[in-house]
Amino acid sequence: MKVLYALYPGPDAAQDAVDSLRAAAADLKFDAKQIVIVSGEPHEGYEFTDSHTTSAPYRWAVLGGICGGTCGYLLTTISQKAYPLVTGGMSITPVWTNGIIVYEMTMLGAILTTLVTLLIGAGLPNFKGVITDPEIATGKILVGVVGPPESSQPELEKRLRQAGATQIKYASAPNS
Amino acid sequence: MVVDLDRCTGCEACVVACHAENNVPTVGEDQAARGRAMHWIRVERYWEGDFPNPRVRFQPVLCQQCDDAPCEPVCPTYASYHTPEGLNAQVYNRCIGTRFCANACPYNVRFFNFYNPAWDKPLDLQLNPDVSVRSVGVMEKCTFCVQRIKSAEIQAEAEKRDLKDGEFNTACAQSCASKALVFGDLNDPNSEVSRLDRSHRATKLLGELGTKPNVTYLERGSWQDATNG
Amino acid sequence: MQRTAEQIEHDLLWPIFHTSRKYWIAVGLATSLVLAGVAAFGYQLYAGIGVWGINSPVFWAFDITNFVFWIGISHAGTLISAILRLCNATWRRPVTRCAEAITVFAILIGGMVPLCHIGRPWLAFWMIPYPNQRGIWPNFRSPLAWDFFAISTYLTGSCIFLYLPTIPDFASVRDAATGFRKKVYRALALGWQGTPRQWQRLEIAMHIMAIAIVPVAVSVHTIVSWDFSMTLVPMWHSSIFGPYFVVGAIFSGIAALILAMALLRKLLRLEEYLKPIHFNNLGKLLLTMSLLWFYFTFAERMTAWYGNTPSEMAVFWVSIRQHFAPLFWIMVFCNFIIPMPILASKRLRTVTGTAIASCFIVVGMWIERFLIIVPALDHKFLSYSWGTYRPTWVEDTLMAASFGAMALLYLLFTKFVPMVSVWEMKVGLQPHPGFPLPVPAEEQHHSLILEGPLPTDVAE
Repeated sequence: MKVLYALYPGPDAAQDAVDSLRAAAADLKFDAKQIVIVSGEPHEGYEFTDSHTTSAPYRWAVLGGICGGTCGYLLTTISQKAYPLVTGGMSITPVWTNGIIVYEMTMLGAILTTLVTLLIGAGLPNFKGVITDPEIATGKILVGVVGPPESSQPELEKRLRQAGATQIKYASAPNS
Repeated sequence: MVVDLDRCTGCEACVVACHAENNVPTVGEDQAARGRAMHWIRVERYWEGDFPNPRVRFQPVLCQQCDDAPCEPVCPTYASYHTPEGLNAQVYNRCIGTRFCANACPYNVRFFNFYNPAWDKPLDLQLNPDVSVRSVGVMEKCTFCVQRIKSAEIQAEAEKRDLKDGEFNTACAQSCASKALVFGDLNDPNSEVSRLDRSHRATKLLGELGTKPNVTYLERGSWQDATNG
Repeated sequence: MQRTAEQIEHDLLWPIFHTSRKYWIAVGLATSLVLAGVAAFGYQLYAGIGVWGINSPVFWAFDITNFVFWIGISHAGTLISAILRLCNATWRRPVTRCAEAITVFAILIGGMVPLCHIGRPWLAFWMIPYPNQRGIWPNFRSPLAWDFFAISTYLTGSCIFLYLPTIPDFASVRDAATGFRKKVYRALALGWQGTPRQWQRLEIAMHIMAIAIVPVAVSVHTIVSWDFSMTLVPMWHSSIFGPYFVVGAIFSGIAALILAMALLRKLLRLEEYLKPIHFNNLGKLLLTMSLLWFYFTFAERMTAWYGNTPSEMAVFWVSIRQHFAPLFWIMVFCNFIIPMPILASKRLRTVTGTAIASCFIVVGMWIERFLIIVPALDHKFLSYSWGTYRPTWVEDTLMAASFGAMALLYLLFTKFVPMVSVWEMKVGLQPHPGFPLPVPAEEQHHSLILEGPLPTDVAE
């Protein structure tokens, strides 16, 4: 599996390249999903980044918090009722003290859920290897197509160059 | 328990008896100087007035077995908890030695085993087999001689009768020469301790804290006050 | 002078690939302190807690002082990273990882103390609620049980908070490294590639973490303060303890952060990244905290003095006039009288100035923790049992070892992880950096989101 890619000096050029590739996707017989973009930092405010915005992790975090809180509540209440031991004249299941445990478990649930949603959403850990180029470390943005059809490659190269590519490269994917 | 401050002479026989009955170690002169003496009951001594008329007050202080004990909720392992009989129990096996209970106790009646207790020979032969010997890192305090209470309860149950007042006694009350310490069942309205608890002289030590102690102190009578000569 | 992405990458990864002699000496010193502490702890396990200076009634002294102190230091990372992240304060970029690292290691050290100070440390695991045959279960009404949950949650959250933004930097090191190092960093980077989807998910995750970690941090030190204020001990049983401790924590945390940054600047050649503007800004925060600390201390003492309750006044005078008075006034000197003029004047709010103020503050805050704990235990209700306290060599060694452990962990961290976040510095180069909150796809537009001048440029 080959990757045909080019390196762009800035996000504007990269956005042009991505738009150009998407426009030609149907004609050149490749799926828009085969377009790969790799950069050394996030570029907010550009469509190729912002299109991945989602509010799902927030909802998952809230759900995780609720689950954690419920676990905390059950842990404290059930265990205290199972072996009721009187301490200091307090009730067996004091609301306020159990509430502290519930609160901590809620936050823990939200935190762990956020970690899991990140790992799943970002596809980590990724055992398949990465597509990368040493130039990315200097701030360039890699835009390319994974596994382009042979026939489409000259046209793809032309489009990439039109958007302002400094170099066109081929690499076997994944490398590193 | 009721402590009659009028009768206390400060002889400290109660302290010695408690050490003997409950295997409380003597920590040695050096450790005691560092403030680590372990006296489950101690006789506090307060001086009042100056020369040439100083007066001294004696006040035996032991675990008050509070109903709303501040030492109980703070123990992370339930080593300190309230038994259904109304005693504040210390479970040595559960204690991991955080010493939180000792900090929370307003009466300073909880003690910590800073070292493994040791008894010089032949005092080790004098240990009470009914009471455990605690190890290093464990908190301990007055239990109202729970081993004696339990032994009396077992005997009464075996004989299928109720406990009688005076059938069980703590080591300190038993050894008090002036009968300043009286021990019994507060739930029994006819017991000696209940009668004394109803005295007009009855007060509680640090009662304003709301710990609801089960030890009642009978104040010294007014004819002893300095103003009356 | 704007640096290029290439320069940033080179400068920030340099410490990972190069080790100086000074570094080895520092690691050696820190390790020897830690080993001394381990030996002292071994002796304490063997002989019993009696080798410490604690007694009846002062059952907690240096041990809990160190505990509260280190948990307090850990609040640096949270404030700087999370709150500034949420406020889009872009000057925080070079500072976040230093701060987050301090948090994780301070919690680790602080969390070790309760495990080591109990009378039977080998049974510390009884605090964990797991089904067992012994009939042991934690008491959820105890502030120590709350401590266990709170510190575990905070440690987990901080580790995740530290690790997540480090993933892209691990990927950078992976790409620059060879051989065995490459394998290790490849594992640490989890196969991070840098696609826009991954970046966006990472930013969202960091946003949620920032929102979540702030209440956790506040609750942790509040719960630590409740170890004291939930008892009836005079001068402990005060509702001010919650906020007082949180403010003190943030105060000591920022001071520790400034110290760490000042040292790293020199050791790792990061003068171009940890710039005077950062020390200036942190210095202003430190000034605010110093004033807040003074306010809380004053309010607490004033209400005690005005109320004139005998039991509280006994403790009050111990600190103000009697045998702890010298320590008390040293503390006020270190926490307020010296730092305030340094931090209040723009001329003195430099790298050196803030570092000197921070040294005093770290010492002063340790003394403050000590003075909260010991005088109150010294003088509880019944005056017959009032006591005194003197530390022993074991406690001194353990305290020094905790500082050594912090230094060691931090030094090791600087060796393996870039101390300034490479990708966040690169984001700082962009014409419109900052993390605007994610805009749903239908609403986003192509026009550039304009912000004010870059704070990082202001001081040039």
